[in-house]
Amino acid sequence: MAKTGVYTFLVCVLMGVTAYASFYIAPTESTMGLVQRIFYLHAPSGMVSLMAFMISCIGSVAYILTRKPKWDWLAVSSAEVGVAFCTVVLLTGPIWAHPAWGVWWAWDARLTSTLVLWLLYVAFLILRTMIDDADRRALVSAFFGVFTFLDVPLVYGSIWWWRTQHPQPVVFTSAGLDPTMRKVFYLSWLSLTCLMALLIRQRYELESSREELRTLEQELEAT
Amino acid sequence: MKNLDSVFAAYLIGWGIFFVFSLSVARRAAGLKEELGRLKERLQDSARQGK
Amino acid sequence: MRLLANTTALLGKELQTEFRSRELLITTMFFVLTVIALFSITFDAAVSDPKNVGPGLLWLAILFSSSLMLQPCFLKERTNDTLSALRLSVGDPFAIFLAKLVANVCLLLITELLALPIFAVFFNVKIMRVFPQLMLVFLLGSIGIAVTGTALSAISSQARMRELLLPMLLLPLLVPILLASTEATVALLGENPALRLDWMAILAAFDLVFLTALWLFGEYLLEE
Repeated sequence: MAKTGVYTFLVCVLMGVTAYASFYIAPTESTMGLVQRIFYLHAPSGMVSLMAFMISCIGSVAYILTRKPKWDWLAVSSAEVGVAFCTVVLLTGPIWAHPAWGVWWAWDARLTSTLVLWLLYVAFLILRTMIDDADRRALVSAFFGVFTFLDVPLVYGSIWWWRTQHPQPVVFTSAGLDPTMRKVFYLSWLSLTCLMALLIRQRYELESSREELRTLEQELEAT
Repeated sequence: MKNLDSVFAAYLIGWGIFFVFSLSVARRAAGLKEELGRLKERLQDSARQGK
Repeated sequence: MRLLANTTALLGKELQTEFRSRELLITTMFFVLTVIALFSITFDAAVSDPKNVGPGLLWLAILFSSSLMLQPCFLKERTNDTLSALRLSVGDPFAIFLAKLVANVCLLLITELLALPIFAVFFNVKIMRVFPQLMLVFLLGSIGIAVTGTALSAISSQARMRELLLPMLLLPLLVPILLASTEATVALLGENPALRLDWMAILAAFDLVFLTALWLFGEYLLEE
């Protein structure tokens, strides 16, 4: 319990340091100015959401092979956290794009792929609410989780190739990062990854408590 | 500065989403803990009655 | 080769069941036409730039129709309680999936073949000179749709709100198929028709990946 408290405190400190670095240490970008600083939240969130979805897929495969409920708890927890980070990407993107390029949305490779990714994992979460039996829900959503993650490289690849064939005016470039910018970017990535782990852990505990409740209820019914 | 507004909005929304997620999980967990405590009490009571 | 024998037997049953009434085929076919017509009315580009916009609309129509057409695939087994009988009749559960998959590919191809001439008329495109290549695109695309659709039909038949669930699950998954098939079709219907091997590779990769996943994990979906 105390360990979680310490870890939470550390994550908050890390996030605070990252925010300071994003606003004061990172140099101002020449063309976009101040608004470019959103990049330090936008881009790492995208990468962290992918990491979360990868963890979810590992949970799904492990559940299919072992049928141990803890893997299902991991799969749903990391999927939810992944969707949260993905939502941040999709919301900070337009907030960045509008002042910088005058458009709210651009169907560029990264934003389009992120949108499809978000749709896929929201579908995963909705599927889970549509099945009442716990074991069936775990197995069926594990299968869909595997399918979904297998689709991710295909989605990213095909959309990237499509954009390469039909280039648009380039938006969201992080090309040619200044060394200090790069350091702040990595710091942000690290702190968001730590936050991801914390949130997954928190959500996982919730699932574990739910199972405990179910077992107790069954015990009570038996008496 | 218009751009400063955008930066603040973005970070507010981003952190807001993480905070709301954590808060909602924590609230559900607290509710569950309460329920768990009640159930454990009932189990103990019925065990005592059984004896 | 028991897998092949079982699959063939089940495939025969699937096709026989469908062709007895033909209701799924006819309904799907008209749904495709309706969607194409509605899209063309909504988007002016369909009139001004048919060669580039048309194929996208055609594939969208195919995708929407298939997400509805694939619903009964496993639903009918669950409603009629024939799934356990099917499982007992075959050694390898993959035979069930394979048979349904091939049947669905056939149904999709027939629908597409019937829709193609009308599409050619609506959008003033020449399809006969590239017909074999076009058929290859449709084959690979249909396999991708059928593999994922059959698996997802097995999933959605176990859930509530399955009529909405299957399209919601299937359509985002099929984005690579939509993109690759559309691009390949546009390339074939353009000024200088060419078979785009890059897009065909993406189609083939999709088909292979999901067929393998279905083979590895599919039987768990059929557990009662």
